[in-house]
Amino acid sequence: MADERPVLELRGITKRFPGIVADDHVDFDLRDGEVHALLGENGAGKSTLMNIVYGLYHADEGEIRVNDEPIRIHSPKDAISRGIGMVHQHFMLIPVMTVAENIVLGNEPTKAGDILDYAAARKRVTDLSRQFGFAIEPDARVENIGVGQQQRVEILKALYRHADILILDEPTAVLTPQEANELFEILRTLTREGLSIIFISHKLNEVLEIADRITVLRRGKKVDTVPRAGATEEGLARMMVGREVLLRVDKPPATPGEPLLQVENLHVLDELGLEAVNGVSFDVRRGEIVGLAGVDGNGQSELIEALSGLRKVEAGRVRLAGRDVTGASAHDVLHRGLGHIPEDRQRRGLVLNFSLAENLALHDYDAEPNARFGWLFPRRLVQRARGILRQFDVRGGGPQTLASALSGGNQQKVVVGREMSRDPHVLLAAQPTRGLDVGAIEFVHRRLVEARNGGAAVLLVSLELEEIVSLSDRVLVIYEGRIAGEYPPDVSEEELGLAMTGARKEAA
Amino acid sequence: MTEGAAPPPPASSPEAGPPTVAERLAFYQRAGGVLAPLLTALIAFIIGGLVILATTGKNPLSTYRAIFDGTGLNWFFHVGSYSITLPFSETKVWFPWDTGSLAALNLQQTLIVVTPLILTGIAVAFAFRCGLFNIGGNGQYTIGALVGVQVGVWFAGMPRPLHILIAIVAATFAGAVWAGIAGILKATVGAHEVITTIMLNWIALWIGSYLVGFNGPMQDPRAISAPVTKPIADSAKLPVFWGNPALQGLHIGFFIAIGALVVYWILLKRTTLGYEVRAVGFNPEAARYGGISVPKSYFLAMAISGAFAGLAGAIDILGWEFRLDLTVVQSVQIGFIGIAVALLGRNNPVGIFFAALLFGALLTGTSTRNLDPTIFKPELAGNLTRIIQGLVVLFVGADLLIVYFWQSIRKPFIKLRRRLGLRAKSVAVEAE
Amino acid sequence: MIARTERFYRGRTSWDRLVAPRSIGIAGIVLDIVALWVALPPVTVRSVLLPVLLAICAIAAGIWAFTRGERRLGGGAVVGALVAVGCTVLATHAHAANLEGVFVWSALIAATLRWATPLTFAALGGMFSERSGVVNIALEGMMLMGAFFGAWGADKTGSWFGGVAIGAASGAALAFVYAIFAIHLRADQIVGGTGINFLALGITGYLYNDIYGNKGTPENLPAVPDVHLTFLSDIPPKGLGNFLFDSFGSLNLMIWISLILLPVSYVALFKTARGLRVRSVGEHPRAADTVGISVYATRYSAVTLSGLLAALGGVFLSIGYVNAFSENMTAGRGFIALAALIFGGWRPFGAFAACLLFGFSSALAQRLPDLSASESAAWPVLFQALPYVLTLIAVAGIIGRSIPPAADGQPYEKQ
Repeated sequence: MADERPVLELRGITKRFPGIVADDHVDFDLRDGEVHALLGENGAGKSTLMNIVYGLYHADEGEIRVNDEPIRIHSPKDAISRGIGMVHQHFMLIPVMTVAENIVLGNEPTKAGDILDYAAARKRVTDLSRQFGFAIEPDARVENIGVGQQQRVEILKALYRHADILILDEPTAVLTPQEANELFEILRTLTREGLSIIFISHKLNEVLEIADRITVLRRGKKVDTVPRAGATEEGLARMMVGREVLLRVDKPPATPGEPLLQVENLHVLDELGLEAVNGVSFDVRRGEIVGLAGVDGNGQSELIEALSGLRKVEAGRVRLAGRDVTGASAHDVLHRGLGHIPEDRQRRGLVLNFSLAENLALHDYDAEPNARFGWLFPRRLVQRARGILRQFDVRGGGPQTLASALSGGNQQKVVVGREMSRDPHVLLAAQPTRGLDVGAIEFVHRRLVEARNGGAAVLLVSLELEEIVSLSDRVLVIYEGRIAGEYPPDVSEEELGLAMTGARKEAA
Repeated sequence: MTEGAAPPPPASSPEAGPPTVAERLAFYQRAGGVLAPLLTALIAFIIGGLVILATTGKNPLSTYRAIFDGTGLNWFFHVGSYSITLPFSETKVWFPWDTGSLAALNLQQTLIVVTPLILTGIAVAFAFRCGLFNIGGNGQYTIGALVGVQVGVWFAGMPRPLHILIAIVAATFAGAVWAGIAGILKATVGAHEVITTIMLNWIALWIGSYLVGFNGPMQDPRAISAPVTKPIADSAKLPVFWGNPALQGLHIGFFIAIGALVVYWILLKRTTLGYEVRAVGFNPEAARYGGISVPKSYFLAMAISGAFAGLAGAIDILGWEFRLDLTVVQSVQIGFIGIAVALLGRNNPVGIFFAALLFGALLTGTSTRNLDPTIFKPELAGNLTRIIQGLVVLFVGADLLIVYFWQSIRKPFIKLRRRLGLRAKSVAVEAE
Repeated sequence: MIARTERFYRGRTSWDRLVAPRSIGIAGIVLDIVALWVALPPVTVRSVLLPVLLAICAIAAGIWAFTRGERRLGGGAVVGALVAVGCTVLATHAHAANLEGVFVWSALIAATLRWATPLTFAALGGMFSERSGVVNIALEGMMLMGAFFGAWGADKTGSWFGGVAIGAASGAALAFVYAIFAIHLRADQIVGGTGINFLALGITGYLYNDIYGNKGTPENLPAVPDVHLTFLSDIPPKGLGNFLFDSFGSLNLMIWISLILLPVSYVALFKTARGLRVRSVGEHPRAADTVGISVYATRYSAVTLSGLLAALGGVFLSIGYVNAFSENMTAGRGFIALAALIFGGWRPFGAFAACLLFGFSSALAQRLPDLSASESAAWPVLFQALPYVLTLIAVAGIIGRSIPPAADGQPYEKQ
């Protein structure tokens, strides 16, 4: 039962970065023993706000009060000493060290000078985990335990330091639904033991399940704080986005032709030598978009890498427009009619220090008319670039501008433009809208449909179910390296979610 | 350090890891233009001057002046009415500078030293463009010199252009092979080229010591008590175009070096190979995704880099040394100075030329022949040059220094431009 | 991001571990070493039969290991067998007397330790720096500073202890400058390290010429004393006692200090809380930051310490071994130490093993010229390249397998 007194209060917190106001005079309070969700889209300012509370950022204006006492938090050390603990979205764990070492780091029990008292550390960890009801192996190396376990280690880190307030930043982003439920159980136990919890998320259904109160942020401003009773998904979504959310993209029905991408019984290994793709077979036909849904880490990345020639195929066959390209290099497969929009535009899609013209030629710089016998013709690059930049409405510079000068959305337009203007038979799109604002997302979606209407076979890999469902003509689910099911686009999200966790196995 | 106060270092993205060397130097180009290298050199010289003052009590300015006079660069300051003979003819033509003065002689010496420096600078710069650090210039130069000497000794009597060509090609190839070893190791097993090229430096030194030392296979049998090779045949010597050949005049190797600068630029900007090298240097991941073979680029970049350094060795032999001496083999430093040249010159042909000019001038200006020991001891001056080189390299490695400086100088200009309605170029920052 | 919880398991029983490909591969390499060793004193087999037989067994073991996945060990065993046979042929062709003269194992052991000690100091220094996440290729320059200032300090203060103290301080000071550039100014660490090396070369050369000029360092430079363990020769049997005394009886104090530093640094880095923090900063600085550890302070301390240790290696060179200073006397040892560190997996005892190997090659290189019949042959000078060749092979063969601290070489940006 939540107490009315706030244990944490934020008044008028403002934080500016160059060119943007991340948090704009935000008020927030956390009551004793409650789970308070902080809801908002990507970029709404939730993480920034909590990073301020944890001392990783400094607020430009505003006040933080703990137990009604205004305090200054300059660093995580201050926050920890005030009983504030944080579990970040990207875990702050050291893979090669053990669970116990990670938990006691910075507050190590010592004996005889500075010698680490590992036995004491182990005991404390075991005691804590028993107290809060979850099993943990203190001597296991963090790199060897599962993601759900790693998250528990992060929680234990906070509890070890006597946290009363626990902040969790998008904790379910990396969990399966089953692990998420286990997490919620742990959170309930924690509140029973007297902790107060802030839960950052952009997932409406989860927030409605676990939170006592919900605060919605939009573009750095607080919209409202509502109790769970009476809150609905539509209402919250409207507060988050500010308008009616359009969930479907308009597109004419698909008229698929012959298969342009044929994958037969593909086996691919990951870095550790374990099977990542475990006998996957599917086709993508001309004029259709096939969406591949799945929780991150189930083999999608390795599949895309194998199809684009960047990873070795252990067994199986890949055919592109009828031609066998199994084991072909990235160079060959790109020149045989594959288009590839990679997952990370800044690390894999673009050379930021190259001009836009040079970037636009990245996948065919050594083919006519860009080059002949090894001799490059920069002027032709620029000419072609001008056309593509105009056609794809890229703002922020011309052919000679460096790619680093463009915004994320425009950078992605360059990548999309490059691939589409090569008129590929097959287009692989891996998380094409990650980190983009709404306008850019709409642009990319439109172009993908355009490619499909133009006769390309599009394979869309995405972690956002909404995107998959709204764009695809067929939906495949990948789970632990196998296709767990094939669904029509009007399938429910719960059905997909269950398949993604292996609960349903429908014949493909 | 408060956030938002300083611009982020030029990484591709916040999670992409630290910037590659190629990215950093490209960033300086954009951020600092010509001013930043000048500033870097200036600061290094100022610190050097402080060292002079603190340790010897002498006036740094007059010391620098004395060094400068020894470089021959002051030749340009004495304008008068002289004449020169046009090549391949007897006609005399008016010329504003005295080609026979002492300053002219010094300038010839400087340019003789600048020639291999340009080449080793190109060597390091080309590797930097691919994100590789070629510290093996010394070894590659030595191997080039060894091959150059041997080819110069053999094939005596061949027509001169052919003999020179063969010697140069062989030495360049040898340098490429020597660096290629490090390139292959990097490409196949990922061995760090810093360690491998340094080891190859020492291995080349000892191979050279064996070949050229007492009773070594290349030692001149007529020079029983001196560890030195036979001199190369006259048909392999590079023609001198300025000065007295008997007194080490300036040879056409200088033009070969200038030509190499052009070749360097063309390779990088006008060939698909150059495109690949640059892409890999800036972002190996994106290059790989674009179908570029990163290991192949590493190997080729190292090999081409070594080729330039090997060429430097050959040109020195064919141009003025004419024979190889054990002491020379064991005191090669030109590859290291090439590093400072490439860094100060920002991997850029024009920059490399001027940086090579600067360091070459320092070398001649501080040599025992040109520096009056009463003004400043040449051994000290030589080491002072090393200190200055070290400072230059250090400062170039620290972009924040340059960025802070540049930002504080540029701010008033940015405000002015904005007021005039011109758009300022900026690096996009993605905040959460 | 779901981590795999299953991993390859090797056979749990001892027998399984004995016949595992990894063990067979290691056995192959051991056989290679034995094959070569029997041709040398004291065994000095004069026919190649036994070594060849051993080499064949080694090749078989190597192929077995190679085909079962242990490519590096298997390949190493095969290559080592060929090298062993080649060296054995050479050994059997040399005069037995010459062999006896060169392979005096006690002298070799002492020489190995002497050659290895500067490497050990520098490698330990490099370990602290790299474990905290800062690549230090300026070990060479810091060693050189220690060499010069150790000599100068001993000269000025008249005591070797003064030399050691001043030498160590000079290395620490240079390292601190490097730390500013690498940590605060976030310079490219390899470029910065190269600059520091130039700087050290210039500073030591300048001061050497300025202070000592043509004459060089004084003849009677106070030297770090040797430790005389006469009791060793009293250990029965007599042969063993002499052997021990010749090997370990007159080693320099600093050699013993370097040996003591090995377990000390092991405990410091792997068993203390502070060591845990250093390693965390090197693996995941942001994680360390979020629990309140000062990344900058940790790295500064580690880098400065690395300079101090590397300088001690240089001090040993100038006032413990050669008793003089000459320009650039470190001759690339700092880089060999770095390779030893990588070879040894950034751990003290592994790095020390590599230092011993490199030291042995240098010691051998010094003595091998005595193998040849003629006095004036030129080829013995090639042996000077042996340590560098060995380093090259080590770097080529081992690098891929060893994993540096995860954040090694990446500047840290506080937000």
